[in-house]
Amino acid sequence: MLTMAEAVREAMSIAFDERPEVFLLGEDVGIYGGAFGVSGDMYHRYGAERVLDTPIAELGIVGAAVGAALSGMRPIVEIQFSDFTAQAMDQIANQAAKIHFMLGGALHVPMVLRTPQGSGTGAAAQHSQNLEPWFASVPGLKVVVPSNPADAKGLLLAAIDDPNPVIFLEHKLLYKIPGRDPVPEGATRIPLGVSKVVREGKDLTIVATGIMVNKSYEVAEKLAAEGISITLIDPRTISPLDMQPVFESVEKTGRLMVVQEGPAHAGFINEVIAQMAGSSSFGSLIAPIKRLAGMNIPIPYAPQLEKAAVPQIEDIEAAAREIVKNWR
Amino acid sequence: MSFKYPVVMPKMSMTMETGELINFHVKVGDQVKSGDVLFEVMTDKIDMEVEAPADGVIESLVAAPGAVVEIGKPVLIMLTETEVMAFDFGDDDQPVAAVEVAATAPIVEAPVVAAAPIIVNTNVKAVPKARVEAANRGIDLRTVHPTGPDRTITMQDVNGAQLDPAILKRQEANKALIAKGIEMTRAIAQASFNRKVSANFDHASFIAAWAKVLRGRPDLAAHEHIGVALIIESKYGSALPVFRDPDQTSLNDLRTLVASTTDAAKNGKVPVAMLSGATTTVFDLTTYSMSSATPLLFPNQVTSVTIGYESETAKNISLTIDLNFCDFYDGALLLDALVASL
Repeated sequence: MLTMAEAVREAMSIAFDERPEVFLLGEDVGIYGGAFGVSGDMYHRYGAERVLDTPIAELGIVGAAVGAALSGMRPIVEIQFSDFTAQAMDQIANQAAKIHFMLGGALHVPMVLRTPQGSGTGAAAQHSQNLEPWFASVPGLKVVVPSNPADAKGLLLAAIDDPNPVIFLEHKLLYKIPGRDPVPEGATRIPLGVSKVVREGKDLTIVATGIMVNKSYEVAEKLAAEGISITLIDPRTISPLDMQPVFESVEKTGRLMVVQEGPAHAGFINEVIAQMAGSSSFGSLIAPIKRLAGMNIPIPYAPQLEKAAVPQIEDIEAAAREIVKNWR
Repeated sequence: MSFKYPVVMPKMSMTMETGELINFHVKVGDQVKSGDVLFEVMTDKIDMEVEAPADGVIESLVAAPGAVVEIGKPVLIMLTETEVMAFDFGDDDQPVAAVEVAATAPIVEAPVVAAAPIIVNTNVKAVPKARVEAANRGIDLRTVHPTGPDRTITMQDVNGAQLDPAILKRQEANKALIAKGIEMTRAIAQASFNRKVSANFDHASFIAAWAKVLRGRPDLAAHEHIGVALIIESKYGSALPVFRDPDQTSLNDLRTLVASTTDAAKNGKVPVAMLSGATTTVFDLTTYSMSSATPLLFPNQVTSVTIGYESETAKNISLTIDLNFCDFYDGALLLDALVASL
């Protein structure tokens, strides 16, 4: 069983083998094998021309990738921590996202920006953020948040195929974890913009992203033994967002809970709530929509506080029980 | 010449059979004006202040505070010179003097307080699906007991909501009686309500909205369908084409039908199929620049509505109901629901 880091490496290797124009650049992605070991031995397998160690200069790294993409290459950028994309935001939001549109579709920017995100590593506020809504709110960027190795592989292959920029947000705590399902052999793509129904139940629909899919899955399995049956939906791509399975599920369960790691205020998951509230499925709701999200604070350094700042399995379990018990 | 008028325990809801007298706001010998609060009553649903139906003098207090009084039985007697035109629930055969006083406790003078309006809570909290379900099943959410958090009506509450057997029995009786025909005495048992509304609607959307409201009260029609008669004046006289179940066709189709029927009626022609089956009547007064009228009830109908002119941007809706089949409270709720759906 591959871990997510291995699955991502496998997808990159397949893309390297399929297309000579694919290359990887970033801080320590070469000889060191990546800050989280994702690129691993790729430097040794593909050489310094295709696995580029760069200076610590995020704006320059992304700018170089955008330029390369415009001139026919397919760069994969690794930014060591998603927090550091702040340094590169002009190239991401103002250049990569816009060029295709501002030039009337004449040029494409087939760039993938991979970056680890999230809390739980004791790395404090500047290395622990979940910045999904930053990217999801910029038209022109597609945003992928894989929750398991199999999806990460298929989605990354599709992201590399995509003719325009894709932000690929990998949760640090998932890197070393094998998925529930084995990673398929070969180069099968998972299309962007298709939500996945992870499991089906009749009492509650949970929509969760990234690591929260895994936490919610554990809760769903546990509560199933008590007779609470939960549908779990993983959007996988938060931009574009596929809501159809959510509407269909809520029409059956009548209850919706959404879970994300990032802060509640103006978070991505609010988009799911907004679309539900404005849909014809709204009339199927038999309970107020429950939102579980991070606190509106910088991620604390102290381990207990760091844990308390984002939803944990116990929080999801308690909220799921409560919504099903209180609203019948 | 003055005469005795018993002010009785009013019937304030369909299910009400008795009311508890809380206190008097007047004492014997007091001069009262029409509208002054005479006493307060507590029922299973609401507390209410009962007002003087006319100017007069309090002659005697019959019931005692705390006593449970049957509806229609006197609570106090007043002397008045006005012909009191109110719906009298009292039993004509039973002379007032013969009424036994339930309790002999001394009557305590109560301080007169300012009259408070009756508040009918229209802001019912309910989960979205409960609203859909209630609308589909014709349940008035205001009658459903909320058990959810923050007194919110849950699906369970709506699913468990059942019409009171007394209401069901009355609905059956109503249907039979309306079908049989109603006698002329009904004229004294009607009540009219009116309300200003700032909304834009045409005949089609009004008819559909009214039918939708009536859908929740199947007992107010002799038929299973809802037939809205629209009075259309023409040089040939008034035509009353009936639109059947207008809330169940698309608004566009209904608009086309209303327009073509109106044209035809103005030329003295109404399709035969639209000549019968009315369960309610709508009369648009706006073309006469009238703001309101008390619409008469047609035979075999329990409700009628007029649309009056209020201003460029507002209308005045009047509703007449037959008190043999519904209460003042029902009338208020019906008009409230109609205005809300406009």
